[in-house]
Amino acid sequence: MPAWVKGAATDIDAAIAAAADLLGAARMPVIAGLNAEVSAIRAAFDLAGRVGASLDTDGAAGTYAELGALARVGAMTSTPAEAVGRADAVLVLGSAPAKSELLGRIEAGAPTRGRAAGATRAILALDGANEGGVLPALARLRAHFRGHLADESPTAVLASKLAAAQYVVVLYDPAEIGEMGVETVQGLVIDLNDRTRAFSLAVSGGHRNQDRAVVPVSAWTTGQAPRVGLGRKVPEHDPWRFDAARQVAAGEADAALWLSSLPAPRPDWLGQVPSVALVGEASPDAAEVVIAVGVPGRDVGGVLWNETRGALTYWPAQTGGSAPADLPSAASVLGRLTNRLAARSGTAC
Amino acid sequence: MSTLTLREAPPERLDFLSISPLALSGLTQAEAERLEIGTSRRGVKLGDCFAVSLDGSDSLTIEGGHERLDRVGASLSGGTIRVVGDVGQRLGAGMASGTLTVTGHAGPYAGSGATGGTITIEGDAGDYAGGAVYAAKAGLDGATLIVRGRAGAHCGDRMRRGLILVGQAGAHAGARMIAGTIAALEVGDLPGYGMRRGTLVTGKHGTLSPTFVETGSHDLVFLRLLGKHLRAVSEAHAALLDRPLRRYSGDLATLAKGEIWVAG
Repeated sequence: MPAWVKGAATDIDAAIAAAADLLGAARMPVIAGLNAEVSAIRAAFDLAGRVGASLDTDGAAGTYAELGALARVGAMTSTPAEAVGRADAVLVLGSAPAKSELLGRIEAGAPTRGRAAGATRAILALDGANEGGVLPALARLRAHFRGHLADESPTAVLASKLAAAQYVVVLYDPAEIGEMGVETVQGLVIDLNDRTRAFSLAVSGGHRNQDRAVVPVSAWTTGQAPRVGLGRKVPEHDPWRFDAARQVAAGEADAALWLSSLPAPRPDWLGQVPSVALVGEASPDAAEVVIAVGVPGRDVGGVLWNETRGALTYWPAQTGGSAPADLPSAASVLGRLTNRLAARSGTAC
Repeated sequence: MSTLTLREAPPERLDFLSISPLALSGLTQAEAERLEIGTSRRGVKLGDCFAVSLDGSDSLTIEGGHERLDRVGASLSGGTIRVVGDVGQRLGAGMASGTLTVTGHAGPYAGSGATGGTITIEGDAGDYAGGAVYAAKAGLDGATLIVRGRAGAHCGDRMRRGLILVGQAGAHAGARMIAGTIAALEVGDLPGYGMRRGTLVTGKHGTLSPTFVETGSHDLVFLRLLGKHLRAVSEAHAALLDRPLRRYSGDLATLAKGEIWVAG
């Protein structure tokens, strides 16, 4: 089983012992990434409780843009299947949704169900290229809906097209448009629903992650969104304080565990603190302690966010073919790490 | 005057929520030194980082600040706190009354949700000065926040009541304002984005959202009253109101009852 300590290959027991030493000695460890199956995310929360760590996710910028707007103005959302089956007008915001496979499915079909069945599907775009960005463009579009602006501009044409449609879906990537953008999208959808049916649908652009799985796990485990710290034994939620990149840059974090059983690019800050990496695609220099774990849906089974269905679904391990073998699941490695730390009186909390 | 003197840089972020003149007035020195202010599993006690000197009065001086001092003066209900140095996030968050002064710089979310009292930052403030924290209903909510230097982005985000007086503010100043007043010598791009009501007075601004429309120059009694009010705090800000002012109404994407006054 591939595991490395300081670049030298070793067995998994020695690597877990080294990881336990590293995390057990830290004052303020961070567990970041959480780009993994649900069982591993749960195990990461258990470990964080044990070592008083804080947690952060790979896609936190987009997740908090979405959650911040949800907390303030609520949301009217649709699912990918509904968008493909019912929408006769799809508004694509910015450039990121073009990278999602959903847009391809939407472009390939036409509404087959509901009030717009049989109609042709219009794909409309709003990228703000001529208006100084997506935010001013969105504000202007919403002002037209509210009747506060009236002119012959392309925005006015777009507004009338949307209002004339039977079922509108607005596609956006929260990481691209930010919290203020998401809030304006939700306002736009509310305004549109005065005249027709409209929904929003967040899609991830180029940067895929498992944040949509982390948010429910975090909610049922701690009652909070993902950026929680357990240093004071109760979950404290603070999106600014528990931003892992900030904690490392400010010298507050003195150890890190990077969990990414699904392949994802490593953050730059990982090399700046003593770190442990539990990764699906392992390389000896990824961190001080590197343990290769099974990739969910390939080497091991696991529950992952299914963007196509908009739900958490189980992905079994692939049998035969290219499936390499005998890698432990991230959850089992995290569980052993937690038990090992619990057994030490000096580090138990 | 009670004094806390920083001995050395704190090893972790400290939480000063429970440190106020009122809370310290009933404690002996030994009890105060045992107050838990750390945020990691190791923990830090007040006496570990600070030399404590108490006299039971309603004023407290923190000699030697640090950017890891969070929630200084948070929920303050009276008295005076003066910090000689920097502070971290959420300075005076949820404060109800009293006076809070920082001679250095402050982190993000200064004055968030503060309903009364006066907060003065003589240096710079971070992002979201007078802005709302995650999932909070409002930012500054009735207090007065004075930033002599620069404030970061999103100054006064979702503020609901009160006054923010700031030297230079970054992008999105007054974004999503519910109500209240911001006076700034300069603001960055997209000021007042999504503002519902409220007043933003500025000498200079970056790109304005197309959802603000100019509604002419006006000479209103309110502006002279505001100028008189500001003069007590800052001559430079009061001088803005002596100049001819153009009014922009917005944000048209929302209620459109807000206004941006730009001094000519």
